[in-house]
Amino acid sequence: MQYQMNKFLFAMILTELEDAVGRENCSTRVIDKVTHSVDYYWLSRMWADRGCRMPEADFVVCPGCAEDVSKVLKIANYYKLPVTTWGAGGGTQGGAVPVCGGILLDTKRMNKIYDVNTESMYIECGTGCVYKHVEYAANEVGKTTMHYPSSLTCSTVGGFLAHRGIGVSSTKFGKIDDMVLKMEIVLPNGDIIETSPAPKHAAGPDLNQIFIGSEGTLGVITKAQMRIYDEPEVRRFRGFLFSDLSSAIKAGRELLQKFKPSVMRLYDQAETSSLIKKIVGVDRKGAFMNIAYEGVKELVDVEGKILLDTFGKYGAEDLGSEYGEKWWKEKITFFYPGHMMDIPQMFGTMDTIAPYDKIEKIYWAMKEAVESNFPQARFIAHFSHWYEWGTMLYDRFIIDGKDVPADPVEALRLHQAVWSVGVRAAIANGGVVNDHHGVGIKLGRFMKEQYGPAMQVFEGLKKSLDPNGIMNPFKLGL
Amino acid sequence: MNMTEFSKKHVDSCRFCWMCHHICPIGNATGQERNTARARALGISLVNRDAIALEEIIDNIYECATCSACAHTCVTGWDPVLFTREARLKAALAGALPEYINILIDNCLDTGNAYGKEDISPELKEIISKHGEKTDTLLWLGTDARYMAPAQGINAVRVMEKYAPSFTVLEDEPDCGTHLDFLIGTAEETKNIMQSAADIMNNYTKVVIFDPADAKTIKRAFGEMGIELSCEAVTFTSFLAPLAKGEKTLRDAAIQDAFQLSRELGETEPIREIVSKYAYIREFLLNGEETVWAGNILMSRYMGRVIKKVAEMRISNAESIGAKYIITESVGEYVSLKSVKQDKIGIIALENLILGEY
Repeated sequence: MQYQMNKFLFAMILTELEDAVGRENCSTRVIDKVTHSVDYYWLSRMWADRGCRMPEADFVVCPGCAEDVSKVLKIANYYKLPVTTWGAGGGTQGGAVPVCGGILLDTKRMNKIYDVNTESMYIECGTGCVYKHVEYAANEVGKTTMHYPSSLTCSTVGGFLAHRGIGVSSTKFGKIDDMVLKMEIVLPNGDIIETSPAPKHAAGPDLNQIFIGSEGTLGVITKAQMRIYDEPEVRRFRGFLFSDLSSAIKAGRELLQKFKPSVMRLYDQAETSSLIKKIVGVDRKGAFMNIAYEGVKELVDVEGKILLDTFGKYGAEDLGSEYGEKWWKEKITFFYPGHMMDIPQMFGTMDTIAPYDKIEKIYWAMKEAVESNFPQARFIAHFSHWYEWGTMLYDRFIIDGKDVPADPVEALRLHQAVWSVGVRAAIANGGVVNDHHGVGIKLGRFMKEQYGPAMQVFEGLKKSLDPNGIMNPFKLGL
Repeated sequence: MNMTEFSKKHVDSCRFCWMCHHICPIGNATGQERNTARARALGISLVNRDAIALEEIIDNIYECATCSACAHTCVTGWDPVLFTREARLKAALAGALPEYINILIDNCLDTGNAYGKEDISPELKEIISKHGEKTDTLLWLGTDARYMAPAQGINAVRVMEKYAPSFTVLEDEPDCGTHLDFLIGTAEETKNIMQSAADIMNNYTKVVIFDPADAKTIKRAFGEMGIELSCEAVTFTSFLAPLAKGEKTLRDAAIQDAFQLSRELGETEPIREIVSKYAYIREFLLNGEETVWAGNILMSRYMGRVIKKVAEMRISNAESIGAKYIITESVGEYVSLKSVKQDKIGIIALENLILGEY
């Protein structure tokens, strides 16, 4: 915005936005602005905890469909107003925080289930649907989405697509980008487009994959076809204890060459002796690994045998099914206040991903970087999404409240510093900026460090689609 | 806001937790982020830190139905209803309530009902007059049925006539405190109203409570407020479950569990026992303790469009499971669901189902 907003112009823009989405769906109330100023991002939470107000939007608008979004974006372009898209606010990277003010575009009114298609096995829905509601729609016809992230109940379809999210059964069923068939998107200039009628084509680059992970910087995803699956005939669990991380990763790698479990989670010694002990009850030294495998019973029987044979070769102790079943039951409990880290602690998840030949080195490098530079920090990790070629590292740092500066700016400084050493250690050893939480404002500064000259591809797209730079400014390093 | 430390602990846990985001019937109907437990907690926490004024959040505090869906789904036991109710009380004590809430409170204190009604309908009065004689059993109709849904009150009496040998209905039945408890929680005024009602109930051996909202007040809130009840208080549904008889003809009937019975009092089976005598049940995906609130009359007075959307959402839930009817046990939910103009799902109150009049 290159001009000074004044009361008259503010009122003019407000009436135009009300005209676009309806007066009751357009707000300048403090409660709406405050509510949309704090998401799951630690810095926004800390800021609010210290009694400070985060940057707020000037207008909160709730469009009901792509046509409404189009009108809003045309207004925003005309007045050069920033537009920040908000799903349900469950993001950890500050991607939905309206740091430049302007328009906050909340998508949750676009929550219609358009089609539950059991022939082609997808649900077409508005991207404002909380994913749990899509799961409900699938359950009503005896199907399931197989997308079970910890944020299932608190993130929207659009939110998962915008930051390329993932659920706990990803090893077999994939990430969100594997689960989407087609999308409707409103471009920054207000044009409404659809991606190709089906994915996996040779009709040029995949439009889906250009917008998935773009975090609201290239447009607003308004509708999507998300895959559904038959409920498995059986789902079995098996817990294992490995003496060390290295043998566990090797065992996991070998297993993935044979079949794909749905859940595959390996916890380092530090996390096994803390969170896993507390929630699942495994009170043993070593690295706990939980496996779920599911589907048609005859196949699952064979997979169970392969699993035991493979892990046996690496000295894994078979803990039976009890811990795995407990983990499945409690898989979301980890994230409730009282179990999850919370203010006054400082914490963050620095998830990354790499091929097998690099991932263990990354783990040790990040651990060393965080613990040696910040002796007050604890470092715990697990490996929770596996592929034939590599796995992801879900590593977290935790600093107890007594070691976190009371002054919000000093706390921000410490937070930034920890992230910098952690993420740079990952990049230096062959990892990426992030695996499945996205970039947001938190990690934008690392994008150029990772991509180098490749960043101009993203910048070119941004410049072409959003010449006025209104869409989610200062996110994704764009 | 001078909240208790206990409530503050809940506020500070919920303000940054999104886990119940999916479950709020109002948030799901409006799509508004402020209609979530975490938004209310965040707002209160910022008031507690002097970052915003209480006046900025008070409307939002009254946009909550206190249906406990959020608290019920929380695996660690945090309770957004707890601090929402306390915030209402503190705001009342601070003189910071919105005018539209003050009017409802004044009505409760002046007329014994939040709607400010002075009298009940002649038809209801007539049927009540037939049961004015003192017996062991008192049928407690409640203010919603008496003043806002007299047809339901009349039918409740008719159902009782069918299955109970003798019972009493009070022409001047007082308020039992349900509305004031919703509006300002555990205030002295609420307690006084509850005590007056309890004093009357204690003249009977048994009190059959027609409205689930009153059942929650009488069977639970009375105790929490230290009000002793010497009579046996039973819900209309649990009283009728072993008695009702009928022909099973209706197909695809979904039961709209009243959260006051299913979640707050743990009573889910009596309505199923009754409905299964008249209809083939097709359950909502979210039923029993998981039920989704479908609106009430009191909140319609100050946020009618939203309550209509809440009801529309529940009707949409019924459509998506292939139900043809919704059977209600709550007066407020029946009125709310009936207010939606649609012809896909039949809305039938339990008393109408039993009478075969739908």
